[in-house]
Amino acid sequence: MSRRVLVAMDSYRLAQCATPVSCYICGNDNNYDTELCRHCAAPLALSHQASTQGVKPQMIAVLGTAAAGKTVYLGMLLDMLTRQNGRVQVLARGAFSINLQQRTMAALAACDFPEKTPNEPDRWNWVHCQATLASRKTPLELIMPDMAGESILEEIDHPNSYPAISAFLEKCSGVLLLADTERIERGETEQNYFMMKLITYLSEQDCRHKQGKTKRPVAIVFSKADQSSGCFANPENYAKEKTPNLWQQIQQRFHQYGYFASGVAGAVTYRKDRGGSKLAVPLRIEPRGIIEPFEWIIRKLD
Amino acid sequence: MTRWFPYVTAALTLGLAIAADLLWGQVSVAIGVFIAGGIITLLLYLLSRFLSPRTRITASPDSHSYSDSSAQSYTDGGSASPKKPMVDSAGDESEDLANLMLRQGRYTLLLRPQIADNIPPEQVEQARQALDEEMTLVPAGELTLSRNRVGLEDQREHDVEGSVVHIEGIYLDRHQVTNWQYARFVEAGGYEQMQLWDPEIVPAVLDFVDETGEPGPAFWRGGTYRPGTEKMPVVGVCWYEAAAYARWVGKRLPTDPEWVKAGSWPVPLPGSAPVQRKYPWGNGFDQGRANLWGSGPNEPVNVDKFAEGASVGGAFQLIGNVWEWTSSRYGAWSSATQGIVLDTSLRSLRGGAFDTYFDQQARCDFQSGDQTIARKHNIGFRCAIGLCDLIPDEELMDMPAETEESLVAATADYQETP
Repeated sequence: MSRRVLVAMDSYRLAQCATPVSCYICGNDNNYDTELCRHCAAPLALSHQASTQGVKPQMIAVLGTAAAGKTVYLGMLLDMLTRQNGRVQVLARGAFSINLQQRTMAALAACDFPEKTPNEPDRWNWVHCQATLASRKTPLELIMPDMAGESILEEIDHPNSYPAISAFLEKCSGVLLLADTERIERGETEQNYFMMKLITYLSEQDCRHKQGKTKRPVAIVFSKADQSSGCFANPENYAKEKTPNLWQQIQQRFHQYGYFASGVAGAVTYRKDRGGSKLAVPLRIEPRGIIEPFEWIIRKLD
Repeated sequence: MTRWFPYVTAALTLGLAIAADLLWGQVSVAIGVFIAGGIITLLLYLLSRFLSPRTRITASPDSHSYSDSSAQSYTDGGSASPKKPMVDSAGDESEDLANLMLRQGRYTLLLRPQIADNIPPEQVEQARQALDEEMTLVPAGELTLSRNRVGLEDQREHDVEGSVVHIEGIYLDRHQVTNWQYARFVEAGGYEQMQLWDPEIVPAVLDFVDETGEPGPAFWRGGTYRPGTEKMPVVGVCWYEAAAYARWVGKRLPTDPEWVKAGSWPVPLPGSAPVQRKYPWGNGFDQGRANLWGSGPNEPVNVDKFAEGASVGGAFQLIGNVWEWTSSRYGAWSSATQGIVLDTSLRSLRGGAFDTYFDQQARCDFQSGDQTIARKHNIGFRCAIGLCDLIPDEELMDMPAETEESLVAATADYQETP
């Protein structure tokens, strides 16, 4: 049996679909119904939200080497800020913004760390949220992607290999730079050089057209700081003693910087995977120093 | 007061030297006065060191009602001010020693069969009262606890059949060990009495110092706790420090099965495995009953808070506030540790802390662990002692009936809780 129905010809919809949508991250045009930007693979939902809600989100980058704890930091931060009614609160914009939080929390609750973030930009988790400060009337719109550490390194070594990273870092208003305390304690120097490269990259992006220090606020966060007793007590002193060249670079290149220490796992042990390599396993979850750097950054954006 | 003498004298000497110089205008006179003052200052300093309160027993904190007032009550009838120094002028040496032990909270030592026979019955009674007030009875019985293939040494401490573990009756501290209680151990020279420490850690004991380099927990200053924290659980102590304290008070650390039994209070049902609680108050998580992340002030609280979260037996804060060391190795009593590269230096932690984020990591059956020498801000302990280690209590002769009643009550309670 068939039924005849009248369908209004929504020509305005067709017209809308014909209009290209520019990616909020890289600025390139895409078809209206495309999910990810065909140039940088950032979700076009960010652009749709920005245009429909009439907001211009600011961007905060969470950077660090592979396995520095970026995913855990971001996931934990979002969960803590959505769970607690404190000085800073966060509301996710769009269901896709909750994926990272969900994935991270599911792993941590089961005493595991989330899987490594893939290097492919189309598989990264992007967070668009509204952050409210108790001292500020209007909330801040923020975009924070969880990018793979190896991809960041690749982009720094070979600029424009990841358009999403270069476009994002060009536009971002604040940077959270994660340094793995465990590796610092082990005396590994590779991370130090990576951080220095990153600082140079960020600084040169800002000072392309002018001389002097960059005004973009940078929070240096020593992640996994529970591995060192002195780090929580005085992170700046820790930076000065353990990573003097990083400390020196920050002083010389940035106007606004702050040192922080954070930790998520109270203690860590290891599990051997099938290949025989060791995987870290958290023995309990007790977040420390997660909110402070974020709060510092958004106050600076304020 | 004596500790200020050297500084006051030094200031006076300097003042005198300046005055002498101004009055007589002779530098040599001023130098002479200065040197003489320096010698006097040095002598006073040595005298004050000699009189330092390292070996003195100080009064209990004013508001330490749950244990210290009881300690006071069984030494001077509870009528004296807690600030009054408790010195028993009468009685022989052994009585004095017994009184000292009571004041230090080492009452279980007096209830050991070999000691109880040699002290007056009144003191035994006082020790018995202290035991009743400060410790809770965990009756003998069975519980279900998963095991790992490792840690057989720990598993041999109990009768095990499959996943059912049988434990003997124990007394368990009602509260976590407080800063005030631990200070008695430090004052009594616990860090110098090497017989209290495990032989392997003796060379490292010198490194167990506070923020000022004095022997004591990691976050203390000047060999003592921060003002206002006397009733808070002692933290910043490693597993060895906890074990040494337990030995000093005549107790020991509970094993994992003992700790879990105290919290989950298993109810043996005929023909099936014991029914156990996830939390001491029941099976449903209740934020208001434990000091965990998001439900408390995000720091340790006094050990007698969160009374509504107490176990059936009356043990406070088994869940929350600070993690508790147990005597077991990490991994011995938890199947969740399968596949983990187990480090023998990891010891078991139970109960969660004020900063524990997930409810499921603060359940009675959840096991965490840490290095034996970890001295962290959220790890404390409580002590236990086996019933068999103490003189038999006449009241406990009726235990089977009482246990049955308590189990029936617990079953009813269990069924009521969601």
